[in-house]
Amino acid sequence: MSSSQVPDRAAVAAEITPPWSRRRRRSPWQRAGNSSVPYLLVLPVLAAIGAVLAYPLYKLVVISFQKYGLFELIRRHGTWVGLDNYRSVLGDGVFWRTLERTVVFTIANVGLTMLLGTLIALLLVRVSSLVRVLLTVGLVLVWSMPVVVAVQVWYWMTNYQNGVLNYFLTEVHLGDYFQHDWYATNFSKLAMVTALIVWGAIPFVTITVYAGLAQVPSELVEAAEIDGAGPLRVFRDVTFPVLKPILLILTSLSIIWDFGVFAQPWLLVTASGWNASNYLMGVYVYIEGYAHSDFGRGAAISLLMLLIVALLSVFYVRQMVKTEEAG
Amino acid sequence: MRVRYIAAVCLVAALAVTVSAATAAPSRSTASSITVWLQTDAQNGWPDIVASVNSQFEKDHPGVKVNVQYQQWTQHLTKFDATLAGGNAPDVIEMGNSEMTKYMAAGAFQDITSSKSSFANSSNWLSGLQKAATYGGHLYGVPYYAGSRVVTYRTDLFKKAGISKPPTSLAQFTVDAKKLAAKNTAKGFSPVYIAGPDWYVAMGFVYDYGGQIAKTFKGKWVGTLNSPKAIAGLTAYKNFFNVASHASKTQDEAHPFPYTVYAQGLVGAMPGPTWVTCCNLLGKYTKASAQFVMPSHTAGKPMPGFLGGSDLAVPVGANKALAVDWIKDFTDTATEKALQAKGNIPNATNLLGDSVNERAAARSWFIPSSKNWVNVENGNILRSMLTQILTGKLTVKQAATFASQNITSVLNG
Repeated sequence: MSSSQVPDRAAVAAEITPPWSRRRRRSPWQRAGNSSVPYLLVLPVLAAIGAVLAYPLYKLVVISFQKYGLFELIRRHGTWVGLDNYRSVLGDGVFWRTLERTVVFTIANVGLTMLLGTLIALLLVRVSSLVRVLLTVGLVLVWSMPVVVAVQVWYWMTNYQNGVLNYFLTEVHLGDYFQHDWYATNFSKLAMVTALIVWGAIPFVTITVYAGLAQVPSELVEAAEIDGAGPLRVFRDVTFPVLKPILLILTSLSIIWDFGVFAQPWLLVTASGWNASNYLMGVYVYIEGYAHSDFGRGAAISLLMLLIVALLSVFYVRQMVKTEEAG
Repeated sequence: MRVRYIAAVCLVAALAVTVSAATAAPSRSTASSITVWLQTDAQNGWPDIVASVNSQFEKDHPGVKVNVQYQQWTQHLTKFDATLAGGNAPDVIEMGNSEMTKYMAAGAFQDITSSKSSFANSSNWLSGLQKAATYGGHLYGVPYYAGSRVVTYRTDLFKKAGISKPPTSLAQFTVDAKKLAAKNTAKGFSPVYIAGPDWYVAMGFVYDYGGQIAKTFKGKWVGTLNSPKAIAGLTAYKNFFNVASHASKTQDEAHPFPYTVYAQGLVGAMPGPTWVTCCNLLGKYTKASAQFVMPSHTAGKPMPGFLGGSDLAVPVGANKALAVDWIKDFTDTATEKALQAKGNIPNATNLLGDSVNERAAARSWFIPSSKNWVNVENGNILRSMLTQILTGKLTVKQAATFASQNITSVLNG
């Protein structure tokens, strides 16, 4: 922890503590009242979080230990089965293959998002202000496009029968793409999903990194350049250390989003294109839980997912905190 | 320090989103109203019939409002599950006949056996629809209407290709498809458009050659797509597809809808539901379109088609008396006749006429009546098999054997 924060905290304390309370002796009653004020202020938020998050989460945990199918759903209470759901999920080859596929998928998506997002942010710094405005507007438009609409447009463009992409590629003589099937194999299906997700995620990364770049001291860059450092060297030794905490947050958020992603793959590949050999975790949990009406198993899978994502996040948060403390 | 807090808040928020939650919105019925879930087929095809039945019902039950909510096939079960959990299920729900078993087995519907005789034509109900609504000897649904599958074709293109009358055998249809292809050289033209993974069409070939999807043996389900007869059917499907269709081998019959391609003038003929000509051709070629029965490989016979249909059921917790009364009005002889006039098959044999739809229904097939069948559909076992066969990734026998094993394990699961 940096020593610069100690006076900060004192200053803050001085500001929020009314002057009279420092002069007079306070009764124990008053002291207790004062110290509980922050807790009272936090209470509404806690209540809201409890209602929308803690209770459903508690229900999810309970259901994951129960046999809870359509029969139980109608009677609204499950039968206790202990660890059966977890045992059956962990003993299912489909779960492990789906997990493996999803990890690879997440790495590819997050990697591409971070790489392209950062590169575009670096580009933003260098271009003229007109181009910067145009580029930013474009990014914001992408960011504000609702997922479902984006998927639909993407699907039309890559359509087998009437897609404009096939038409365009054929017209510019890049080969005969007439009736090219972009969703022919499991790999190509997931690659199309990746393209869509990365496209949609770049604006957030770019704009955040661009904001972070404003904090890079220009005199340091200048000094490094005078000392003869090339652009790569400047990025590695000057820009990157400043951006590191931001990049870590963005990476861990992206991992959380991409690991459990559902809307884009489900809508783009369409319900009829999914089978046990191409599930992603989000799709798998939907099929097992909702489509098969086995809510107990579905709950077990989503809790396992939560655990995996939490573990991944812990690693990144630790990294981040270390960076903070070192800085 | 600050970054740490922000990070923690962000992480908590993002983690919360990964834990999915179901939503349910429909209104709870009271004695002064009943909620009816019908499919969008009714909304697009016969909203007038629904409206007139509702006004009749509201006249007979003063003070009771009918609240019709239109649903989509692909989503209505997920929504229905949510309302069952929330205790606010509709009073009447339209169910596909292939969807009934799972819900009857789970006790989602009220037993209406005692009211059976009060429904019009109930002693002559189509056996396929009545069987789909019966579980353990009890009746849980009322047949609404059925639909068979026919071939819609372009009379002008057939004439231009020198085909004077619709084919009456699969071999003849194959020859006709080649003739159509020779006369129509537009890129992407399909003499007979079939989406590759359209299992409703493909299974017709299987049943035509004497095969079936699964059968019961000593109280257990056994997948039978790898039987020699089923393999002959699948091989015939592959051969016919290769001659006749330029549709995708991986995209289902909703992406794109065959009638969209048809309306673009790129289709000579297409098997599918009867009602496409009335409602879905965007006003194109409606005059130059006619329908015939999909021919069997045995000359003169129709190929067995999937007999789709709907039942009307009363979920648990619904107002049974009012729901049953509404269903009575909605399935009376006059209403069924009106549905027939729209190109559907009415719910009882004594109402049957001689339309192409009804002739096609003479030979039909139906899915195995297991409560786990839905999982075969959700797992896309048949569609994946067809894609593997058509793309040549696996031989017919390999793909059929793999699918059959899957079906056996899912149906017995």
